[in-house]
Amino acid sequence: MWAYEKRLQYPVNIKKSNPKIAQVIISQYGGPDGELGASMRYLSQRYSMPYKEVAGLLTDIGTEELGHLEMVGTIVHQLTRNLSMEEIEKSGFDKYYVDHTVGVWPQAAGGIPFNACEFQVKGDIITDLYEDMAAEQKARSTYDNILRLVKDPEVCDPIRFLRAREIVHFQRFGEALRLTQDKLNSKNFYAFNPSFDRCSDCND
Amino acid sequence: MMNNKEQMLFDIGIIDFVLVDLMEYLDTHPFDQAAMDYFNHYAKIKNQMVKEFSQKYYPLTKDLAESNKEWRWGSAPLPWEGVC
Amino acid sequence: MQDYRFDDNIDNFPIAMAYVPWQHFDQIFDNLEKAYRIGTIFPDLDKPFTGRRCV
Repeated sequence: MWAYEKRLQYPVNIKKSNPKIAQVIISQYGGPDGELGASMRYLSQRYSMPYKEVAGLLTDIGTEELGHLEMVGTIVHQLTRNLSMEEIEKSGFDKYYVDHTVGVWPQAAGGIPFNACEFQVKGDIITDLYEDMAAEQKARSTYDNILRLVKDPEVCDPIRFLRAREIVHFQRFGEALRLTQDKLNSKNFYAFNPSFDRCSDCND
Repeated sequence: MMNNKEQMLFDIGIIDFVLVDLMEYLDTHPFDQAAMDYFNHYAKIKNQMVKEFSQKYYPLTKDLAESNKEWRWGSAPLPWEGVC
Repeated sequence: MQDYRFDDNIDNFPIAMAYVPWQHFDQIFDNLEKAYRIGTIFPDLDKPFTGRRCV
Protein backbone atom coordinates (compact mmCIF):
# COMPACT_ATOMS: atom_id res chain seq x y z
CA MET A 1 0.00 0.00 0.00
CA TRP A 2 1.02 3.61 -0.23
CA ALA A 3 2.33 6.04 2.32
CA TYR A 4 2.59 9.73 1.51
CA GLU A 5 5.53 11.94 2.30
CA LYS A 6 4.42 15.57 2.33
CA ARG A 7 7.05 16.88 -0.06
CA LEU A 8 7.87 16.69 -3.76
CA GLN A 9 10.60 14.26 -4.86
CA TYR A 10 12.40 17.25 -6.45
CA PRO A 11 11.60 20.94 -5.83
CA VAL A 12 9.36 22.88 -8.20
CA ASN A 13 9.36 26.67 -7.73
CA ILE A 14 8.08 28.50 -10.80
CA LYS A 15 7.41 32.22 -10.42
CA LYS A 16 6.41 33.14 -13.97
CA SER A 17 3.11 32.08 -15.57
CA ASN A 18 3.26 30.48 -19.01
CA PRO A 19 0.03 28.97 -20.34
CA LYS A 20 1.58 28.02 -23.69
CA ILE A 21 4.23 25.80 -22.17
CA ALA A 22 1.72 24.46 -19.62
CA GLN A 23 -0.39 23.16 -22.49
CA VAL A 24 2.63 21.24 -23.78
CA ILE A 25 3.88 19.94 -20.44
CA ILE A 26 0.41 18.60 -19.60
CA SER A 27 1.22 15.74 -21.97
CA GLN A 28 3.53 14.35 -19.30
CA TYR A 29 0.60 14.42 -16.88
CA GLY A 30 -2.12 12.69 -18.92
CA GLY A 31 -0.62 12.04 -22.32
CA PRO A 32 0.30 8.75 -24.03
CA ASP A 33 3.87 8.69 -22.69
CA GLY A 34 3.27 10.54 -19.45
CA GLU A 35 3.70 9.75 -15.79
CA LEU A 36 0.12 8.65 -15.12
CA GLY A 37 0.40 6.06 -17.89
CA ALA A 38 3.78 4.97 -16.60
CA SER A 39 2.60 4.47 -13.02
CA MET A 40 -0.59 2.66 -14.02
CA ARG A 41 1.32 0.46 -16.46
CA TYR A 42 3.91 -0.71 -13.94
CA LEU A 43 1.53 -0.97 -10.97
CA SER A 44 -0.89 -3.03 -13.10
CA GLN A 45 1.71 -5.28 -14.74
CA ARG A 46 3.22 -6.35 -11.42
CA TYR A 47 0.32 -8.69 -10.53
CA SER A 48 1.04 -11.17 -13.30
CA MET A 49 4.81 -11.21 -12.88
CA PRO A 50 6.12 -14.71 -12.14
CA TYR A 51 9.34 -13.48 -10.50
CA LYS A 52 9.37 -11.59 -7.22
CA GLU A 53 12.34 -9.40 -8.17
CA VAL A 54 10.54 -8.13 -11.26
CA ALA A 55 7.26 -7.52 -9.43
CA GLY A 56 9.23 -5.69 -6.74
CA LEU A 57 10.97 -3.50 -9.30
CA LEU A 58 7.66 -2.64 -10.99
CA THR A 59 6.17 -1.67 -7.64
CA ASP A 60 9.13 0.55 -6.77
CA ILE A 61 9.38 2.27 -10.13
CA GLY A 62 5.57 2.60 -10.35
CA THR A 63 5.61 4.31 -6.99
CA GLU A 64 8.35 6.71 -8.08
CA GLU A 65 6.30 7.56 -11.17
CA LEU A 66 3.37 8.61 -8.96
CA GLY A 67 5.78 11.10 -7.37
CA HIS A 68 6.68 12.30 -10.87
CA LEU A 69 2.98 12.67 -11.71
CA GLU A 70 2.75 14.95 -8.70
CA MET A 71 5.72 17.00 -9.93
CA VAL A 72 4.28 17.44 -13.42
CA GLY A 73 0.90 18.42 -11.96
CA THR A 74 2.71 20.92 -9.80
CA ILE A 75 4.54 22.39 -12.81
CA VAL A 76 1.28 22.82 -14.73
CA HIS A 77 -0.42 24.31 -11.64
CA GLN A 78 2.35 26.81 -10.98
CA LEU A 79 2.44 27.85 -14.65
CA THR A 80 -1.29 28.61 -14.72
CA ARG A 81 -2.51 29.53 -11.23
CA ASN A 82 -2.06 33.30 -11.61
CA LEU A 83 -3.21 33.75 -15.20
CA SER A 84 -5.19 36.86 -16.11
CA MET A 85 -8.14 36.62 -18.49
CA GLU A 86 -6.06 38.47 -21.08
CA GLU A 87 -3.27 35.87 -20.87
CA ILE A 88 -5.84 33.08 -21.14
CA GLU A 89 -7.41 34.62 -24.24
CA LYS A 90 -4.13 35.46 -25.98
CA SER A 91 -2.34 32.13 -25.45
CA GLY A 92 -4.87 29.64 -26.79
CA PHE A 93 -5.23 28.27 -23.27
CA ASP A 94 -8.89 29.33 -23.50
CA LYS A 95 -9.82 25.93 -24.97
CA TYR A 96 -8.59 24.10 -21.87
CA TYR A 97 -9.76 26.84 -19.49
CA VAL A 98 -13.39 26.65 -20.60
CA ASP A 99 -13.62 23.02 -19.45
CA HIS A 100 -11.22 23.10 -16.51
CA THR A 101 -10.56 26.74 -15.55
CA VAL A 102 -7.03 26.50 -14.08
CA GLY A 103 -7.56 23.02 -12.70
CA VAL A 104 -5.18 20.19 -13.62
CA TRP A 105 -6.89 17.45 -15.65
CA PRO A 106 -5.12 14.46 -17.19
CA GLN A 107 -5.05 14.90 -20.95
CA ALA A 108 -2.48 14.99 -23.73
CA ALA A 109 -1.29 18.31 -25.17
CA GLY A 110 -3.49 17.64 -28.20
CA GLY A 111 -6.57 17.20 -26.01
CA ILE A 112 -7.03 13.42 -25.90
CA PRO A 113 -8.09 12.50 -22.35
CA PHE A 114 -6.00 10.02 -20.40
CA ASN A 115 -7.25 6.48 -20.98
CA ALA A 116 -6.03 2.94 -20.46
CA CYS A 117 -5.37 2.48 -24.20
CA GLU A 118 -2.20 4.44 -23.52
CA PHE A 119 -0.61 1.43 -21.89
CA GLN A 120 -0.69 -2.34 -22.18
CA VAL A 121 -0.56 -5.17 -19.69
CA LYS A 122 0.01 -8.19 -21.89
CA GLY A 123 0.43 -10.64 -19.04
CA ASP A 124 3.62 -12.06 -20.55
CA ILE A 125 6.77 -11.06 -18.70
CA ILE A 126 9.01 -10.63 -21.76
CA THR A 127 6.41 -8.63 -23.66
CA ASP A 128 5.60 -6.45 -20.67
CA LEU A 129 9.27 -5.68 -20.00
CA TYR A 130 9.73 -4.61 -23.64
CA GLU A 131 6.64 -2.38 -23.23
CA ASP A 132 8.27 -0.86 -20.16
CA MET A 133 11.61 -0.23 -21.88
CA ALA A 134 9.77 1.41 -24.79
CA ALA A 135 7.69 3.49 -22.38
CA GLU A 136 10.80 4.91 -20.73
CA GLN A 137 12.29 5.85 -24.11
CA LYS A 138 9.03 7.50 -25.19
CA ALA A 139 8.95 9.50 -21.99
CA ARG A 140 12.59 10.54 -22.47
CA SER A 141 11.88 11.67 -26.03
CA THR A 142 8.90 13.67 -24.83
CA TYR A 143 11.06 15.42 -22.24
CA ASP A 144 13.65 16.11 -25.00
CA ASN A 145 10.87 17.75 -27.00
CA ILE A 146 9.77 19.81 -24.01
CA LEU A 147 13.36 20.95 -23.32
CA ARG A 148 13.61 22.33 -26.87
CA LEU A 149 10.58 24.52 -26.19
CA VAL A 150 11.25 25.69 -22.62
CA LYS A 151 13.25 28.85 -21.95
CA ASP A 152 12.57 29.38 -18.24
CA PRO A 153 15.31 27.76 -16.08
CA GLU A 154 12.82 27.27 -13.21
CA VAL A 155 10.88 24.97 -15.57
CA CYS A 156 13.93 23.31 -17.20
CA ASP A 157 15.33 22.24 -13.86
CA PRO A 158 12.62 19.77 -12.73
CA ILE A 159 12.08 18.66 -16.37
CA ARG A 160 15.77 17.71 -16.69
CA PHE A 161 15.52 15.74 -13.45
CA LEU A 162 12.46 13.84 -14.68
CA ARG A 163 14.17 13.08 -17.99
CA ALA A 164 17.24 11.65 -16.22
CA ARG A 165 15.03 9.29 -14.21
CA GLU A 166 13.61 7.80 -17.44
CA ILE A 167 17.09 6.75 -18.55
CA VAL A 168 17.80 5.09 -15.19
CA HIS A 169 14.47 3.26 -15.31
CA PHE A 170 15.22 2.02 -18.82
CA GLN A 171 18.44 0.47 -17.51
CA ARG A 172 16.55 -1.22 -14.65
CA PHE A 173 13.90 -2.72 -16.93
CA GLY A 174 16.69 -3.91 -19.22
CA GLU A 175 18.31 -5.61 -16.24
CA ALA A 176 14.96 -7.16 -15.26
CA LEU A 177 14.83 -8.60 -18.78
CA ARG A 178 18.35 -10.05 -18.34
CA LEU A 179 17.21 -11.59 -15.04
CA THR A 180 14.24 -13.10 -16.82
CA GLN A 181 16.39 -14.47 -19.66
CA ASP A 182 18.63 -16.16 -17.09
CA LYS A 183 15.63 -18.02 -15.72
CA LEU A 184 14.49 -19.28 -19.12
CA ASN A 185 15.93 -21.72 -21.64
CA SER A 186 18.14 -19.70 -23.96
CA LYS A 187 17.53 -22.14 -26.80
CA ASN A 188 14.00 -20.77 -26.95
CA PHE A 189 12.96 -17.88 -24.73
CA TYR A 190 9.47 -17.97 -26.22
CA ALA A 191 8.63 -21.63 -25.59
CA PHE A 192 6.00 -20.68 -23.05
CA ASN A 193 4.65 -17.73 -21.09
CA PRO A 194 6.13 -17.89 -17.58
CA SER A 195 3.36 -15.56 -16.39
CA PHE A 196 0.68 -18.06 -17.36
CA ASP A 197 1.75 -21.55 -18.45
CA ARG A 198 2.21 -23.94 -15.56
CA CYS A 199 4.62 -26.16 -17.44
CA SER A 200 6.57 -25.74 -20.63
CA ASP A 201 5.91 -29.18 -21.94
CA CYS A 202 2.34 -30.30 -21.25
CA ASN A 203 0.26 -32.49 -23.48
CA ASP A 204 -3.05 -30.78 -22.76
CA MET B 1 18.69 31.70 -0.91
CA MET B 2 17.01 29.00 1.16
CA ASN B 3 16.13 29.52 4.82
CA ASN B 4 16.87 26.81 7.42
CA LYS B 5 13.58 25.00 6.91
CA GLU B 6 13.89 24.98 3.12
CA GLN B 7 17.52 23.86 3.35
CA MET B 8 16.63 21.00 5.68
CA LEU B 9 13.78 19.88 3.42
CA PHE B 10 16.11 20.06 0.40
CA ASP B 11 18.74 17.99 2.23
CA ILE B 12 16.09 15.37 3.06
CA GLY B 13 15.25 15.38 -0.64
CA ILE B 14 18.86 14.64 -1.52
CA ILE B 15 19.21 11.73 0.93
CA ASP B 16 15.84 10.21 0.03
CA PHE B 17 16.80 10.44 -3.63
CA VAL B 18 20.03 8.52 -2.94
CA LEU B 19 17.90 5.82 -1.28
CA VAL B 20 15.49 5.63 -4.23
CA ASP B 21 18.29 5.31 -6.81
CA LEU B 22 20.03 2.66 -4.66
CA MET B 23 16.74 0.81 -4.02
CA GLU B 24 16.04 0.45 -7.74
CA TYR B 25 19.67 -0.68 -8.33
CA LEU B 26 19.36 -3.24 -5.53
CA ASP B 27 16.05 -4.52 -6.93
CA THR B 28 18.04 -5.85 -9.88
CA HIS B 29 21.32 -6.47 -7.99
CA PRO B 30 20.05 -8.06 -4.75
CA PHE B 31 23.47 -9.35 -3.64
CA ASP B 32 25.57 -6.24 -4.19
CA GLN B 33 27.10 -5.70 -0.75
CA ALA B 34 28.68 -2.32 -1.54
CA ALA B 35 25.30 -0.95 -2.62
CA MET B 36 23.63 -2.40 0.48
CA ASP B 37 26.23 -0.78 2.72
CA TYR B 38 25.57 2.61 1.12
CA PHE B 39 21.83 2.09 1.44
CA ASN B 40 22.00 1.12 5.11
CA HIS B 41 24.16 4.16 5.88
CA TYR B 42 21.86 6.67 4.21
CA ALA B 43 18.64 5.07 5.46
CA LYS B 44 19.71 5.75 9.04
CA ILE B 45 20.58 9.34 8.18
CA LYS B 46 17.27 9.96 6.44
CA ASN B 47 15.21 8.57 9.32
CA GLN B 48 17.01 10.85 11.72
CA MET B 49 16.59 13.92 9.49
CA VAL B 50 12.88 13.29 8.94
CA LYS B 51 12.23 12.92 12.69
CA GLU B 52 14.14 16.13 13.41
CA PHE B 53 12.34 18.06 10.70
CA SER B 54 8.94 16.81 11.80
CA GLN B 55 9.53 17.87 15.40
CA LYS B 56 10.95 21.26 14.49
CA TYR B 57 8.66 22.28 11.61
CA TYR B 58 5.81 19.98 10.48
CA PRO B 59 5.25 16.24 10.07
CA LEU B 60 6.43 14.80 6.76
CA THR B 61 4.57 11.50 7.29
CA LYS B 62 1.34 10.73 9.10
CA ASP B 63 3.15 8.54 11.62
CA LEU B 64 5.04 11.60 12.83
CA ALA B 65 1.88 13.71 13.13
CA GLU B 66 1.40 13.46 16.89
CA SER B 67 -0.84 16.44 17.66
CA ASN B 68 -2.36 18.48 20.46
CA LYS B 69 -4.88 21.35 20.12
CA GLU B 70 -4.24 21.60 16.37
CA TRP B 71 -3.97 18.74 13.83
CA ARG B 72 -0.38 19.10 12.66
CA TRP B 73 -0.71 16.93 9.57
CA GLY B 74 -3.37 19.25 8.18
CA SER B 75 -1.48 22.40 9.06
CA ALA B 76 1.57 21.40 7.01
CA PRO B 77 2.09 23.35 3.78
CA LEU B 78 0.99 21.76 0.50
CA PRO B 79 4.01 20.46 -1.47
CA TRP B 80 2.76 21.79 -4.82
CA GLU B 81 2.49 25.45 -3.83
CA GLY B 82 6.27 25.90 -3.90
CA VAL B 83 8.11 28.82 -2.40
CA CYS B 84 6.43 31.97 -3.68
CA MET C 1 31.11 7.08 -35.21
CA GLN C 2 31.15 3.38 -34.42
CA ASP C 3 32.18 0.72 -36.91
CA TYR C 4 29.46 -1.92 -36.86
CA ARG C 5 31.55 -5.03 -36.58
CA PHE C 6 30.86 -8.39 -35.08
CA ASP C 7 31.35 -8.28 -31.30
CA ASP C 8 32.44 -11.60 -29.81
CA ASN C 9 30.28 -11.25 -26.74
CA ILE C 10 26.90 -9.91 -27.75
CA ASP C 11 26.87 -11.41 -31.25
CA ASN C 12 27.20 -14.89 -29.78
CA PHE C 13 24.06 -14.44 -27.68
CA PRO C 14 20.88 -16.18 -28.89
CA ILE C 15 19.23 -14.14 -31.63
CA ALA C 16 15.62 -12.90 -31.64
CA MET C 17 16.12 -11.24 -28.26
CA ALA C 18 17.43 -7.90 -26.96
CA TYR C 19 20.06 -7.55 -24.21
CA VAL C 20 20.85 -4.57 -22.01
CA PRO C 21 24.32 -4.74 -20.43
CA TRP C 22 24.43 -5.09 -16.63
CA GLN C 23 25.40 -1.96 -14.75
CA HIS C 24 28.30 -2.46 -12.32
CA PHE C 25 28.54 -0.56 -9.06
CA ASP C 26 31.67 1.37 -10.03
CA GLN C 27 31.15 4.86 -8.82
CA ILE C 28 28.68 7.13 -7.13
CA PHE C 29 28.96 10.92 -7.45
CA ASP C 30 30.91 12.26 -4.43
CA ASN C 31 28.77 15.38 -4.36
CA LEU C 32 25.27 14.12 -3.58
CA GLU C 33 23.64 17.50 -4.18
CA LYS C 34 25.12 17.49 -7.67
CA ALA C 35 23.81 13.94 -8.19
CA TYR C 36 20.32 15.07 -7.07
CA ARG C 37 20.28 17.96 -9.53
CA ILE C 38 21.50 15.69 -12.34
CA GLY C 39 18.90 13.01 -11.55
CA THR C 40 21.05 9.99 -10.70
CA ILE C 41 23.80 9.03 -8.22
CA PHE C 42 25.54 6.98 -10.94
CA PRO C 43 27.85 8.91 -13.31
CA ASP C 44 27.48 6.05 -15.83
CA LEU C 45 23.78 6.88 -16.16
CA ASP C 46 24.26 10.65 -16.57
CA LYS C 47 23.28 11.19 -20.23
CA PRO C 48 22.19 14.83 -20.70
CA PHE C 49 20.22 16.22 -23.63
CA THR C 50 22.05 18.78 -25.74
CA GLY C 51 20.00 18.67 -28.97
CA ARG C 52 18.95 21.81 -30.81
CA ARG C 53 16.91 22.24 -33.94
CA CYS C 54 19.08 25.08 -35.28
CA VAL C 55 16.62 26.21 -37.93
